[in-house]
Amino acid sequence: MAGNKGRGRAAYTFNIEAVGFSKGEKLPDVVLKPPPLFPDTDYKPVPLKTGEGEEYMLALKQELRETMKRMPYFIETPEERQDIERYSKRYMKVYKEEWIPDWRRLPREMMPRNKCKKGPKPKKAKDAGKGTSLTNTADVLKKIEELEKRGDGEKSDEENEEKEGSKEKSKEGEDDDDDDAAEQEEYDEEDQEEENDYINSYFEDGDDFGADSDDNMDEATY
Amino acid sequence: MTQAEIKLCSLLLQEHFGEIVEKIGVHLIRTGSQPLRVIAHDTGTSLDQVKKALCVLVQHNLVSYQVHKRGVVEYEAQCSRVLRMLRYPRYIYTTKTLYSDTGELIVEELLLNGKLTMSAVVKKVADRLTETMEDGKTMDYAEVSNTFVRLADTHFVQRCPSVPTTENSDPGPPPPAPALVINEKDMYLVPKLSLIGKGKRRRSSDEDAAGEPKAKRPKHTTDNKEPIPDDGIYWQANLDRFHQHFRDQAIVSAVANRMDQTSSEIVRTMLRMSEITTSSSAPFTQPLSSNEIFRSLPVGYNISKQVLDQYLTLLADDPLEFVGKSGDSGGGMYVINLHKALASLATATLESVVQERFGSRCARIFRLVLQKKHLEQKQVEDFAMIPAKEAKDMLYKMLSENFISLQEIPKTPDHAPSRTFYLYTVNILAAARMLLHRCYKSIANLIERRQFETKENKRLLEKSQRVEAIIASMQATGAEEAQLQEIEEMITAPERQQLETLKRNVNKLDASEIQVDETIFLLESYIECTMKRL
Repeated sequence: MAGNKGRGRAAYTFNIEAVGFSKGEKLPDVVLKPPPLFPDTDYKPVPLKTGEGEEYMLALKQELRETMKRMPYFIETPEERQDIERYSKRYMKVYKEEWIPDWRRLPREMMPRNKCKKGPKPKKAKDAGKGTSLTNTADVLKKIEELEKRGDGEKSDEENEEKEGSKEKSKEGEDDDDDDAAEQEEYDEEDQEEENDYINSYFEDGDDFGADSDDNMDEATY
Repeated sequence: MTQAEIKLCSLLLQEHFGEIVEKIGVHLIRTGSQPLRVIAHDTGTSLDQVKKALCVLVQHNLVSYQVHKRGVVEYEAQCSRVLRMLRYPRYIYTTKTLYSDTGELIVEELLLNGKLTMSAVVKKVADRLTETMEDGKTMDYAEVSNTFVRLADTHFVQRCPSVPTTENSDPGPPPPAPALVINEKDMYLVPKLSLIGKGKRRRSSDEDAAGEPKAKRPKHTTDNKEPIPDDGIYWQANLDRFHQHFRDQAIVSAVANRMDQTSSEIVRTMLRMSEITTSSSAPFTQPLSSNEIFRSLPVGYNISKQVLDQYLTLLADDPLEFVGKSGDSGGGMYVINLHKALASLATATLESVVQERFGSRCARIFRLVLQKKHLEQKQVEDFAMIPAKEAKDMLYKMLSENFISLQEIPKTPDHAPSRTFYLYTVNILAAARMLLHRCYKSIANLIERRQFETKENKRLLEKSQRVEAIIASMQATGAEEAQLQEIEEMITAPERQQLETLKRNVNKLDASEIQVDETIFLLESYIECTMKRL
């Protein structure tokens, strides 16, 4: 309603002179794409400051970076299993000092729960609120599974652990995460041991194994 | 927090503490105050790791906790404190200039470990200094303690809030988290310790004799069996005091650049006298009389009282208004206008950026608009004596980068564009904020580029490290020149070239980070003091 929509020609709603373009002048082109990612600059940056202080700070910075990586505060991500276990990795591990925070200054929930991580906790389900009868049944089933996997030798350990476990299950269920981590670690070990189908105890090195002389290497073996 | 700040925090945390701590830290910065379970659930990390990460972050004063209703403890991250990690080299170097190597190592240990007890600091520093000394000499604990006490007296290190001592008859269960308190008076109180001992040199022969890898060595040496006398009293580096010192340095060098060495010395004396008496956020220092200043001038300076008075009058009359006269008693009372000084420094930074980015004619227009506050298009052309087309072009360039803004003044209530004045103006606070944001972005870019360069040449770097290790071990066992030569040739000439280039680039990127951080400091101080005033 306000004014004409411009019969044929657009009229500016403000005084074009005020912005600096003279009337009728060709306006600059409309930019149709975003500006370039690395535009050319007419003015190159000023060179960096140099001096004793700056050099010292530079060396300090690089040194601090290296030192921080070796401090106990640098928590490394647990590496995924590599395809090939490199021999040198065993000897290139950096041994870090253990750091124990002052527990008096931290909230109580920060302390790691002191639980034995040897026996697997029989519960993965998070229904800590349910009655103990259900948990006991699940416990038994789980326990049977575990026993099959682990072999008879460790049965007695598990019985003890499991009793403690069911008692503590009535507390908060946050232990599950710790358990899962512990269980995963154990399973990993088992996997490692069982990578091949051969049971180690079956094969016994003969006396002559590896002791054969290599004098006759020029002869082909059939 | 802006995206740029969060990105920079993420890069810093990752470089210093690893990825797990970075994930938790960035999540807390993004979402604010959260309890433990929610953090674990939202980030998808195990509770165990979240606890470890939070312990590290709390130790380094990057995260604080608070007990809310129903006993829930919530954790909050301090984004600005994370950004301070960029400035660690500057803090350590400053301490070196003021308190030499001992002080430098004390502050370095405090910054690396977040907080430490005094006895722990003294022991670590003495051991480190002993390593660098010649054989047979050791560093005495007493000397390190003295430097520590001096640092505490000048407020460069301060006590952390501590656990309140409750009486034994406290009924009920302990609270979920301790409420740490600190008394103002106690903040710099050094506990009475009699630390007797000398630094121990770590002997390599002992390690070999043990015959076991280091990890199997007991984690606690026998020293820790004794009760630590200052248990529970932790110290941290007082970053505000360092900032105050940097600010003073900036003001002194500005005065030296503008006037001469003597006036900068006078200003330095005035600032030194008000170090402890003025709080860091005060708009100006306590008034100092000319007589006091004369007495406190450094010993080497032999200027007479009249000359000093003349200098002070000159400083007070300067249009920059660093120094102001607040009274006539005692030969003239003078103050240093800290806020005005910071504003001038921030403005100078802006001007310099405009000059380096757009050229000196743009800088002239910028300074003009700064001086006249509001100008129309036509007036800009006239005052700056620049042809209309170019002036228009430059103004629009600066406008598009947000250094200059437009102020509309309507003549009629309907704000019709043809009947409105458009005035160009510089809003210093807004421009400073914009520039600060750009600084954060540029440091993030620098860090990323450095990491990229290092990753590209990782293989080559590892190879050169191995070769150096081999050479070092061979030299230790006494090898001939020819053998060493042969080992050195394992790295070919083009590889050596590549390593040189890499080293040069990484050094340049690191040095740039340090310098951008100086600009960040100036801009942040200015913004902080302006916000306090509003």
